[in-house]
Amino acid sequence: MILHPGILALFLSSLLISLMTIYAASCGFMILRRWDIDSGSELQLALERRTCLISSIASYLLALQLLSLFLFIQTADSISHLFVGAMCAVGTLTVNSFGYPTLLLKVLNFILAGLWLILNHADNRGYDYPLIRAKYLLLLIMAPFILTETVVQCIYFTGLKPDIITSCCGTLFSQGSRGIASEILAIPTAPMKILFYSCMAATLAAGARLFLKGKGSYIFAIMSGVTFVISIASIISFISLYFYEMPSHHCPFCILQKEYGYVGYPLYALMSLGTITGLGVGLLQPFRKKETLGMIIPAIQRKLAAVSLFSFFIYTLIASWPILFSSFNLKG
Amino acid sequence: MISARGISKVFNHGLPNEFAALHPVSLDVSLHETTVLKGPSGSGKTTLLGLMACMARPTSGRIFLNEREITSLPERFLTEIRRSTFGFIFQQFNLIKGLSALENVMIPAYPTGEKYSILRRRALESLEMFNLGQRADARIEWLSGGEAQRVAIARALINNPAIIIADEPTSHLDSIQSREFIDIMTDLKAKGRTIILASHDPIVYDSGLADRVVEMRDGRIANEIKSS
Amino acid sequence: MPNLIERQRHIIDFTLSSLLRRKGKNCALLLVYTLIVFILASVLFFTHALKREAALLLNEAPEIIVQRTLAGRYQTIPIAWSDRILKINGVISVRPRLWGYHFDSAFKANYTLTVPAGNPPQQGSIDIGSGISMMRGANRGDIIAFTGHDGIPRSFKIRNILEHESQLLANDLILLSEEDYRDFTGIPADQATDLALRVRNSREYGIIAEKITRIYPDTRPIVRTEILRTYDALFGWRSGLLIVIFSAAILAFVIFAWEKATGLSAEERREIGILKAVGWETSDILLMKFWEGTVISLTAFLVGIILAYLHVFFTSSALFAPVLKGWSTLYPAFPLTPFLDLGQVATLFFLTVVPYTITTIVPSWRAATIDPDAVMR
Repeated sequence: MILHPGILALFLSSLLISLMTIYAASCGFMILRRWDIDSGSELQLALERRTCLISSIASYLLALQLLSLFLFIQTADSISHLFVGAMCAVGTLTVNSFGYPTLLLKVLNFILAGLWLILNHADNRGYDYPLIRAKYLLLLIMAPFILTETVVQCIYFTGLKPDIITSCCGTLFSQGSRGIASEILAIPTAPMKILFYSCMAATLAAGARLFLKGKGSYIFAIMSGVTFVISIASIISFISLYFYEMPSHHCPFCILQKEYGYVGYPLYALMSLGTITGLGVGLLQPFRKKETLGMIIPAIQRKLAAVSLFSFFIYTLIASWPILFSSFNLKG
Repeated sequence: MISARGISKVFNHGLPNEFAALHPVSLDVSLHETTVLKGPSGSGKTTLLGLMACMARPTSGRIFLNEREITSLPERFLTEIRRSTFGFIFQQFNLIKGLSALENVMIPAYPTGEKYSILRRRALESLEMFNLGQRADARIEWLSGGEAQRVAIARALINNPAIIIADEPTSHLDSIQSREFIDIMTDLKAKGRTIILASHDPIVYDSGLADRVVEMRDGRIANEIKSS
Repeated sequence: MPNLIERQRHIIDFTLSSLLRRKGKNCALLLVYTLIVFILASVLFFTHALKREAALLLNEAPEIIVQRTLAGRYQTIPIAWSDRILKINGVISVRPRLWGYHFDSAFKANYTLTVPAGNPPQQGSIDIGSGISMMRGANRGDIIAFTGHDGIPRSFKIRNILEHESQLLANDLILLSEEDYRDFTGIPADQATDLALRVRNSREYGIIAEKITRIYPDTRPIVRTEILRTYDALFGWRSGLLIVIFSAAILAFVIFAWEKATGLSAEERREIGILKAVGWETSDILLMKFWEGTVISLTAFLVGIILAYLHVFFTSSALFAPVLKGWSTLYPAFPLTPFLDLGQVATLFFLTVVPYTITTIVPSWRAATIDPDAVMR
């Protein structure tokens, strides 16, 4: 365990997020059990008001998840030199086997919170709380993931032991005894490039079709999910290399640093925005049949598709910029 | 038209201090008509007024606003209907202290997102209509009772509602100011607004303003008098 | 869309004016809030600045330093040893270094004496750090005297005043020639303070260090990155500890904030009731409360950070330097190089604004769900 301020802040925030989640989930459970839209009882009114509280908690949750994701990577990066062989966040995350699971859970929970808010937005537009059950089921599904994140993060941080001089005989012989992968496995570049651009093209086409004709929601949602995974793999495989102008530095985190103009932030922001809105389209699809939402959902889906298309498109532009215009050449 | 079908209101349901403010009551109010709910305090007229104006939900029964059932609507839709359909004048005026008369008039329109300049102009026009143009920037606590009442009326009208609701509007006014109030209401009525008043002040229910006086007692409608 | 923005604007306007109308109540909260941010920010900035000073200092340090120990205690090292060490594969150069500390009893200050590798002063003249120059009131060309190891004072002519990126490094420094150093400290001619090694490949540090201890079992090789790590962990640990101590303060603050947020005055309840009665929706009130929290948090956060920045970098952390530095008694006071990074700000945000915001969610919602007909009763 390292008493680093960043780690303490993450501990605190996870704890608060978990408490909020538990509270929201228990309210959600109550709503699922006692909900009766036709009743004019004070309980029903109280439950309806509680939905307002939970929406507000979920919005904060989304913001907090995003911030804690940022702080997590930032902290991992800033403590990397405490571990022999670690050069940046990649090294810190591989110090024990809970680093990457924590990161993955953080990303997953961020996406789930985003999807919940989309569902909530659609629900608020209907006159009779049409999605109330779906909404609170999703919340109950989210809760265990968020709690797991807190636990895994806790295990990860308590398992961190810095390599420092402990007594008069230097500890330096510990060096090399632990193998830290300071670089992520390199995925072959050329096939990855083809995969990335064809996947992006397919997603954009599916999105355009949805936007123009209102067809193919599920295909677009699935494509968005696939694009997310492939985009991350591409950043590691080749996109980042062009920003670093180094043929072998496959790091998804260093592009977040000042040295590279913080270009990672717009990249990741656009990518997650595109993915969340894209997945949201598919999430809303089964509820088109609800009578009070018959007109509303297609309109929301169209808007989501537009945002998603826009995000993916700009993302591709930024990612391709150095590939097209920089003097750096991978084959060089 | 607002029609209330067997609406009742019970406070603190199921608790030892349970209290039935309104026993099942049915009442139709047609548009362009002025209705006065008359009765002693505690007779349930304020509760009935609040229910019909979408301020609260009845414990049982249904309310229809122009054929649309509004009882089971979620609060936010109810609020929207209330904001666009009803204008309120309260017993204690309920103006916000520390703000100017103009700001008080503008408050109900804030959530609609109307452009500030347009909203301000409308609010000023409304104040001028009640001879308060010079007092627009004056703080609420500097206004006299009559002026405050007129600011409250201007506020009730800012969202251009079809129906005006007034709860004991004259209880804090002297006789001259009360008559002034009746004059304003008569004027609004002539312009085609529906008015519903709750009052136990003879100046109100004996004035020529009311098309209809509904007398209430102990949470029930006791008697109904149609004038004209 | 413009409607939504206009609505936000209206609500922000209203929030600001209602905050101003309740100055008294918000003042106390703002004060406590700012204080908390100030304290935590000072801790973070200060330790971070120290870490950075240490890193700058170590940047120029040799890759490996070889010290000699005798019965577990530090000892000077024979210069002759460097020949055998130089023969180890991967070692580019070995340089015997001469450096040490000198306590000036007249001024109760500790100085660092060093014989620089390049461009040493001539015999009889020295370069001194700006801190010493200031304390002793000595300038270029002046003659300055120090008492040597045998109690006899020696006088030197000041050749230069040192300026350096890292104040920690240059402040208390005295550069002098090898002859003067040996005469001043009494270190024999065949001995050095330690040996500084240049090594080509960072991966060989471990192997080389191991070989050195095999040849000279009484030596202790120290690798540069290791020192850096140790400093870092030490300062990180210290600031972490302080934050843990101050977490009690954060908790108290959160309770205070909860108090403030739940304890709506009758006047405020009435106002919210009026707003709801005239057509504001629960979410409008929530939005208002959100902006209220944002305004308070942002003000406290910014003011707290600015104050802490001034405190740390312009007053040298007058308030709690002794706790954090530990070794400050050894050094003359030195100003830190101003520095601020995003990670620190995010950390601070999580330690202060986030707990505050979460504390106010439920009370805000309670306030927002006041019955609209409450004002009619």
